[in-house]
Amino acid sequence: MNPVNIPNVKIAVIDNDLLVRDFIATVLMYCVNRDVLSFDNGLAAWKYIEDNESPDIIITEIDVPGLNGFELMAKFKEKSPDKKCLLMSDNPANKQPARNSGADAFLAKPVSVNDLFRVVQTFVVRD
Amino acid sequence: MIKLGPASVEMRAMSEDDVFSSRLKLLIIMAKAYLRNCPLGNYRKKAIIENANHVFYHSLQLVSESSILKDNGFEPPADIVSREKTSEEHLFHQRVQLLAVMAKALAEDRLRGHFRKKALTDNLNKICETLIFKFQIRDVNFLKVA
Repeated sequence: MNPVNIPNVKIAVIDNDLLVRDFIATVLMYCVNRDVLSFDNGLAAWKYIEDNESPDIIITEIDVPGLNGFELMAKFKEKSPDKKCLLMSDNPANKQPARNSGADAFLAKPVSVNDLFRVVQTFVVRD
Repeated sequence: MIKLGPASVEMRAMSEDDVFSSRLKLLIIMAKAYLRNCPLGNYRKKAIIENANHVFYHSLQLVSESSILKDNGFEPPADIVSREKTSEEHLFHQRVQLLAVMAKALAEDRLRGHFRKKALTDNLNKICETLIFKFQIRDVNFLKVA
């Protein structure tokens, strides 16, 4: 793997479960020492992405209202093909569709602190 | 595509308890990273304060739910949970709440002096003994850059 180091990385987290979304945002904010965007539905996230500079990484639950994770990823990748999209789910049946649709990572729930550290080590800082 | 998280058979929705235990683990890592002089930027401080607040209030809620049950005569049967265990759990939650207060203090630059850091270290060690939680700073070397 090539070295990665995204300065001033911009990350967005999309999940309609407030507890989970806040937890993921807290871990990532701590790791990267930057603000982390968070949205409770796919449509709100897409509206932000459409009107602003794309985040470097989006981490979205697949089963969210508005646009689901797959729909959001398709639009996001069309606008910003070089940026990373990680799909999250508690349903194992979503793993293969995530692979087929071009997700950069599949994050199985329940998500742990170590999983999120690995996200940072893989996509934000890596020697 | 990389796959992170539990194996397919262990996948499930995250409960409040999952989030609490993950946040507690994060709080321990935050405190240990501080004791090992990992730099603290503004957003890291904000994340520590947010996390400490969540852990503190969730722990408080767990303790008060337990005492409300007891106050209303719902003492757990002796063969399921011993009084000693209940007392240990109570003490554990007191330590967790203390850790949250200490974490907030360190994020606000109020945790200064040798003995305060020693108290933080002792408290972390006691909590980790209970959790059997092992953590090594090399696991999070990336935190050395803020």
